[in-house]
Amino acid sequence: MKLTLDTFHKFQKEQAARLEGRKAITVCCGTSCRAKGGLDVASAIQTKLKDAGLDENAVELTQTGCHGWCEMGPIVTVEPEGTFYQQVKVEDADAIVASYTKGNAEEKLLYRDPTTRQRVASYHAIPFYAGQTRWALRNVGRVDPANINDSIARGSYVALNRALTSMTPEGVLNEVAEAKLRGRGGGGFDAGRKWRSAAKAPGFPKYIICNGDEGDPGAFMDRTIMEGDPHGVLEGMILAAFAVGSNQGYIYVRQEYPLAVEHLRQAIKDAHAMGLLGDNILGTEFSFDVRIARGGGAFVCGESSALMRSIEGKVGEPRAKYVHATDKGLNDKPTVLNNVETYVNVPLIVEKGSQWFANTGTDKSKGTKAFSVVGKVLHSGLIEVPMGTTLRELIFDIAGGIPGKNRQFKAVQTGGPSGGCLPEKMLDLPVDFDSLADNGSMMGSGGLIVMDDRNCIVDVARYFVHFLVEESCGKCVPCREGLRHLLDVLERITQGKGKMSDLDTIERLCDVLENGSLCALGKSAANPVRSTLRYFRKEYEEHINEHFCKAGVCPALCTYKINDQCTGCTLCAKVCPTHCISGSRKEKHVIDQAKCIQCGSCFDVCNFNAIDILGSNG
Amino acid sequence: MIELTIDGKRVQARKGEHLLAIARREGVEIPTLCHHEAVEPSGACRMCMVEVTRPDWEGWSKLVTACNFPAEEDLIVRTRTDKVMQTRKEILELLIARTPGSQLIAEMAREYGLDHPTLTVGELSEKCILCDICTRVCQNLVTGAISRINRGVEKEVNTPFAEVSDVCIGCLACAKSCPTDAIEFKQVGLERTIWGRTFDLVPCTQCGAPTLPKEQAEWLSERTGMKVEEYFVCVKCKAAQTARTYENIAW
Amino acid sequence: MEKKLLHVYPQRCTACRNCEIACSFAHPIDGKAGVARIKAFGDKEGRVGHNQIVVCMQCEDAACVSACPANALWRNPDTGAIYLLEERCIRCHSCVAACPFGNMRPQADEFPSKCDVCGGDPACVKFCPANALEYK
Repeated sequence: MKLTLDTFHKFQKEQAARLEGRKAITVCCGTSCRAKGGLDVASAIQTKLKDAGLDENAVELTQTGCHGWCEMGPIVTVEPEGTFYQQVKVEDADAIVASYTKGNAEEKLLYRDPTTRQRVASYHAIPFYAGQTRWALRNVGRVDPANINDSIARGSYVALNRALTSMTPEGVLNEVAEAKLRGRGGGGFDAGRKWRSAAKAPGFPKYIICNGDEGDPGAFMDRTIMEGDPHGVLEGMILAAFAVGSNQGYIYVRQEYPLAVEHLRQAIKDAHAMGLLGDNILGTEFSFDVRIARGGGAFVCGESSALMRSIEGKVGEPRAKYVHATDKGLNDKPTVLNNVETYVNVPLIVEKGSQWFANTGTDKSKGTKAFSVVGKVLHSGLIEVPMGTTLRELIFDIAGGIPGKNRQFKAVQTGGPSGGCLPEKMLDLPVDFDSLADNGSMMGSGGLIVMDDRNCIVDVARYFVHFLVEESCGKCVPCREGLRHLLDVLERITQGKGKMSDLDTIERLCDVLENGSLCALGKSAANPVRSTLRYFRKEYEEHINEHFCKAGVCPALCTYKINDQCTGCTLCAKVCPTHCISGSRKEKHVIDQAKCIQCGSCFDVCNFNAIDILGSNG
Repeated sequence: MIELTIDGKRVQARKGEHLLAIARREGVEIPTLCHHEAVEPSGACRMCMVEVTRPDWEGWSKLVTACNFPAEEDLIVRTRTDKVMQTRKEILELLIARTPGSQLIAEMAREYGLDHPTLTVGELSEKCILCDICTRVCQNLVTGAISRINRGVEKEVNTPFAEVSDVCIGCLACAKSCPTDAIEFKQVGLERTIWGRTFDLVPCTQCGAPTLPKEQAEWLSERTGMKVEEYFVCVKCKAAQTARTYENIAW
Repeated sequence: MEKKLLHVYPQRCTACRNCEIACSFAHPIDGKAGVARIKAFGDKEGRVGHNQIVVCMQCEDAACVSACPANALWRNPDTGAIYLLEERCIRCHSCVAACPFGNMRPQADEFPSKCDVCGGDPACVKFCPANALEYK
């Protein structure tokens, strides 16, 4: 059935009416929950519901996208109460259905607050969710991504209908421009300005491209959105196409995201069938179609010009952007390229107005931003907060702070591998595009990697440079050759072969990377090194001068020794992978230095602070 | 036409014309390694970096590659600022470390006062600086037999999957356009070997001297409409044949 | 304006090959004499008036130009002669193979060479003692 401008409104109301007081059990079937058996849980619950004589009219079973808190998965929620069950196993299906019929909650599956030790029943009362403002993720974890009606019920395509009924392309452009929406992919470029240049540029056809090539290690914002709310992405692209005057679009998804591809394919097919995509959208003159282009998983293909070369079937190498993509992009035609999260914000702006959108956020960064918070935090996951939220709120209030009672926060890396590491004194920095950039880091696409005092900062820099060496496309000299030498120097330092002059070499290589590289990948590749050197220079110097890695990470630069605090509990001896700790119960243990591999397992498990990390010479 | 300033001199240019072309026309020297007039600029070597600014940029300036930066009205281009020279020098140091045996790079490095390179040096046998001239020439002008394969430090120029190419015509354009002579080929008698493939050079139909591979003749024939056999006469015999033709013409 | 042409009078040619030497020195490579772009053929039987001179005729519809994949052969608007724009040449020697008259000459590792009438002042003409070459 193809919808038109006239029939859409009625259809949407009908679908939305279903949600009123809807009785439903949702099972998270995002990539991570699937891996943990989410699909099996769903079918077990299905069977139990049937056994209990509950059919679809009594309770709906929905498979949703990711809730962004994967360590708690598989996640099951019960509506309308908003009951939140965590780490559900197939065996729990019985209890869930039983408590559902009784109208209460299954206590043992509820989340337990680590400080109060109290069980929390509702989704919205859990600090991890309560502190968030989920705009881009509004439908993720709520709708069945494979069911277009579900999305329409939650408001998808309402903005499109509104735009096609009562707005001109210029009107949509103005809304986006006035909302001051900035690109969520990393650059933070003003989306309204980008769209306007593409709209003005002569040329046919014009392209709309959605960048879903999320390559940062530990980042999964875009994947979650594509998997969990594909219609939100499509609607944003259609609105962009309407504003710019395009009728052809691509979603570039990396090969590693098969579920995102599956859901997007389904969404495109369904949207076609309902007249929301393809020729004469909603019965109007406006036509726009979207294809999926799959990337091979090269980090550099997330760079816009390399991405376009990749779609063209050429080697995925960036090229100079002296002529903008809005004039000559894909196939040298005017092209708008934005990130998944940028597009998913567009329907909100069109539906609720630019003023509403711009009320949230900071002066120059409006709206919200989703972050994937990983590393040494209690709750790693996907967290969406208004722009301007401080790093402290994000890491400590929402993500629960640093796990381990003796561990201290050391640094947080924002913006993926080419972002910078910020120290504790920067924790009160409001997170937005400009304040991060001003302090030697960047927003990037929203990766946040939290590190504690057991992370060696030189090793962290070495790790990221190693990643960038592997992922550099190798086209331009500074990035290809400069990074290799940078890695060389950093490796030397972590092996205890560093010299103080190496720090100058690092600065020099960082300069040529920044000044000489062709694309943003190379220009920003110096960030992790430069920022760690700026904020943690002492640690570099300790490595070089004192041959001491105080985090106990660089094997050549540390020794583990047991001190007199040892109670002889034997725990360390049990976890030591090389069995090099000896000692009898209730007596001080000893580490055989000849066999110790400096893995630090003993240090991490010791409850008595009985293990010291010393320099390489003890 | 527009007007811009290069190293203090007002010059005229077409809007969008690349800075390198304008500079060379005006006699301003800008070094390049990956530039070749026959193919589109790539911006890979970064040697042609220059500093540009505009009166309305309030003192802000940026480094750009002259080979592909389009000229605009009132642009102020400076080709030898400290930042430019330093960046070029660093790039040369990186290249020396990659190709310590390359004469060309060593000469350029000397020009930039790079007397004591400090970075760890690679293998002497490596000559390729990955300027991509060969691949652009082959892909855009000939048959596209070679490409950049792998990425990052692993990147190299080769045929797809490093297998023997069936589209290579053995014209040697890649090897001959290489600024550092990094592409090896061998020609002995009637055999020419390049990229692991040996081509038979068709002997001159008159004297038997090697002419060109049949594959190249076929490719040329397709482009020009001449018969394939017409290519199988060596230059000397062709000139002699021309002379004989004149002989038959009555004066 | 009427373009000048390199006129050849083979009946006057003594096959002394001064033209070849002049050409070589007019187009040096690294300071050494290059390949001559003109060729004088002496009559095998030594008959006077039967020698021949072969030099590029700057064809209207030139085979070398249409064979060049790199667009490196251009006609000089001042002289009307076709010349090689070396910056564009990829040295595939397709032009050498294409010229049916043998007037596009290879130079081992260098660019192929052809007569460019020395930019309007041909050296061969000046050095021909027999006035077998005229540029008019």
